[in-house]
Amino acid sequence: MTAKLTVGLVLLAALVIAALCAPLLAPHDPQVQDILNALAPPAWDAEGSMTHPLGTDGLGRDILSQLLFGSRTALTVAAATAWGSMLLGGILAIVAGYFGGRIDWGITRMVDLWMSFPPVVFSLLLMVGLGTGLWHVVLAIVLVDWTRFCRVVRSEVIVVRRRDYVTAARLLGFSHGRTIVREILPATMPLLVTMFSLEMGVAVIVEATLSFVGLSVGADIPAWGTMIADGRTAVHDAPWALIAPVIAIFLAILAFNLVGDGLRTALDPRLRVRSAT
Amino acid sequence: MSILSLEALTLAAGPIQLLRDISLTVRAGQTVGLVGESGAGKSMIGRLVSGLLPPGFAVTSGRLRFEGADLTHQPPAQRRSLLGRRIAFIPQEPLSALDPVLTIGHQFAEHLSRLAVPARERPTHAARWLEAVHLPDPAAMLRRYPHELSGGQCQRVLIAMAFSSDPALIVADEPTTALDVLTQGRILFLLKEQQARHGAAVLLITHDLQMAARVCDDVAVLYGGDMIERGPAATVLQHPIHPYTISLRNSAPTLVGPRTTLPNLPDQMPGLAALGSLSGCRFAPRCPARNEACANALPPWRFVGTDHAVRCAPSCAGAASAADLDTPLPGRPREGRPVLELSGVSLRYPGRRSLFGRPGRPVDAVCGVSLRVAPGEFVGIVGESGSGKSSIARLVMGLERPTDGTITLPGSAQIVFQDSHSALNPRRTVLSLVTQALEAAANPPDRHATAQRLLDDTGLPSACLPRVPSQLSGGQRQRVNIARSLCVLPNLLVADEIVSGLDVSVQAQVLNLLLRLGREHGTSLLFISHDLAVVRYLCSRVAVMQRGEIVETGDTETVFSRPTHAYTRALLEAVRPAPIEEMIPAA
Repeated sequence: MTAKLTVGLVLLAALVIAALCAPLLAPHDPQVQDILNALAPPAWDAEGSMTHPLGTDGLGRDILSQLLFGSRTALTVAAATAWGSMLLGGILAIVAGYFGGRIDWGITRMVDLWMSFPPVVFSLLLMVGLGTGLWHVVLAIVLVDWTRFCRVVRSEVIVVRRRDYVTAARLLGFSHGRTIVREILPATMPLLVTMFSLEMGVAVIVEATLSFVGLSVGADIPAWGTMIADGRTAVHDAPWALIAPVIAIFLAILAFNLVGDGLRTALDPRLRVRSAT
Repeated sequence: MSILSLEALTLAAGPIQLLRDISLTVRAGQTVGLVGESGAGKSMIGRLVSGLLPPGFAVTSGRLRFEGADLTHQPPAQRRSLLGRRIAFIPQEPLSALDPVLTIGHQFAEHLSRLAVPARERPTHAARWLEAVHLPDPAAMLRRYPHELSGGQCQRVLIAMAFSSDPALIVADEPTTALDVLTQGRILFLLKEQQARHGAAVLLITHDLQMAARVCDDVAVLYGGDMIERGPAATVLQHPIHPYTISLRNSAPTLVGPRTTLPNLPDQMPGLAALGSLSGCRFAPRCPARNEACANALPPWRFVGTDHAVRCAPSCAGAASAADLDTPLPGRPREGRPVLELSGVSLRYPGRRSLFGRPGRPVDAVCGVSLRVAPGEFVGIVGESGSGKSSIARLVMGLERPTDGTITLPGSAQIVFQDSHSALNPRRTVLSLVTQALEAAANPPDRHATAQRLLDDTGLPSACLPRVPSQLSGGQRQRVNIARSLCVLPNLLVADEIVSGLDVSVQAQVLNLLLRLGREHGTSLLFISHDLAVVRYLCSRVAVMQRGEIVETGDTETVFSRPTHAYTRALLEAVRPAPIEEMIPAA
């Protein structure tokens, strides 16, 4: 196991634990407002206290608690979106790349058309149409991001499709379905895993963008984007209300990218060191 | 005078000795050949001379002298100044050695500027050199780009550049491997002609013992980083002593003379990682006459003539010739319905439609081919690239539909693909690969037992079962490739160029394997190859293809000894081993 993968997995594990144990770890209810304690400094500040380790925001909500509960939103959206885009984009890509011809032409043109629309505007429009809510966010991001999967995976499938071992499998009497599952799919796995973890990172950003403009999970659920939007107004008095969610987003994306990169190396037999025969 | 000399030189990467105790002398005006299969370390010597060793590789003992100076202790800048001036190189791939975006004239001028030729004189200088290598219209040639030249012309340009600096030594690393047979002879002749004119010493690195013997004064045979035999070229070729040299000479099938069995050396050259564990003669694990002593310590040089020396114990030298196996003859056709019958088969690819929907000219890949393969018969199809040989294989396997004619295939057929890299799924283990055909079966028999039987059949060790293709050697991969197509025994095996790209000793293994399989299982074989000698060794009948048509067909011996069609004669003429002096330089 590489150092990259180890660091990534440790970060990711920390994130998952934070999300799962948020009610146990959080010192306060993230939504409870304590106006008297608004804009409290973090614990290491001369005026800070351990009651609010990272201080409070303009409405006196505890920043650490918001951060912990916000990680639940971020992780749920990231995982669900990545699965959704992988299934939708991946299946269409394999169908297009494997069968080729008119089917490929149709799917590729659809992807081109889809991608010509600016992604952020597209997801904002979708959110306006769907209304706020966790699963609406997931749906909006999947509908925008599946094209990325489709394009990249399709070109990989076309490369694998031309290999003699795929022809050999057909000549040994394999059906199309079996050929895809046994010969094509394993070859695209490293790519799918990499894309999957990259997509999780992208989803965290898009979700933060949407919640920044208030078109995401709704005001009653903590989200990192909402925290940035709220913290922005008091950045000079309480910088940690802004800095904390930014660091959280940064670390989450770093974790996804490191894990994705590490897994790709570990999964691909061609990248493994050739053992002595 | 000795130009280049290696004195008991050892090159190591960490604990592994890549070259052991190599001694070699190249004198002025002399051509010395370094012969060996891939992995023998011959290119490593070339890189050592040029000072282009990979990081971590270092000379641990011995000397490398060039014109008297010890190169191993020279600062890099001083060594670099020798390259292209005193030491010139002729590369293996002429096309990739030239910059595709600069004209020949530009590149030649760049080289001349390094030789301090005044800018005004460079074009005339370059043109004079191109004329010397018999390139037509040198002035026009200088204005062209590398892709506008043929491989042979590019190699001529590079030879001209190499000699223009009037070097003391020329290192030619497989200079003709990338060229077609006809051009090969001309390039070798040119090299000899230029050498005679300028008196440079030439170090020729090649895998082809016959070729080295024709061109070189002295040859040295390398195996796994050891020099195992050296001496005058003619002596080494005619009276080889070391078992490896003997098998290397006998491993390539011939077009003339009696059809002799190719020696069956087990396994292949050890890889870099395996060299560390071979303390004795590195050939010992494959040697038919090995003994305890030579497996544990490298035998010392033993002189068998004034200049002819060999690193092999006196007791076992020459034993390889006695270790040959019985000769399996090409499959005799049996009576009965043919396993494959093509009658008047054509394959036409429609032309590409242009932007406005006008169809382009259609391409005829195969036109009106009729061919019949009897049960148990080995039939060869020969022809140049683009003659439609591979299209026939695709038609037989049903990968293409004939536009005309009928293909009758009463039984089953399987194909063995040319490139074992692409033909084996890199993620499957050998066990899963060879029994792949059982996956689609309704009630499959025990896969492990079947795999074991197939491995025994193709001569692979059981230890291979859990390995993935990247852990196998080239020869082993090609065996797995063959084993897979035998899982459900077919009536007809189609093999498309399956031995091109293999080393001669591994090629011999695969050819002997096919002969044995034909004898034991009665399978028919449709063998597609550009190599006439290989077809002669394997097939009892041959069909010669040119531009999609069969121009001549018949008994292999008859067709190759008394060809009737002009194209067959030209093909045979091109590979006839003619002495180098007879080669006429192209105008």
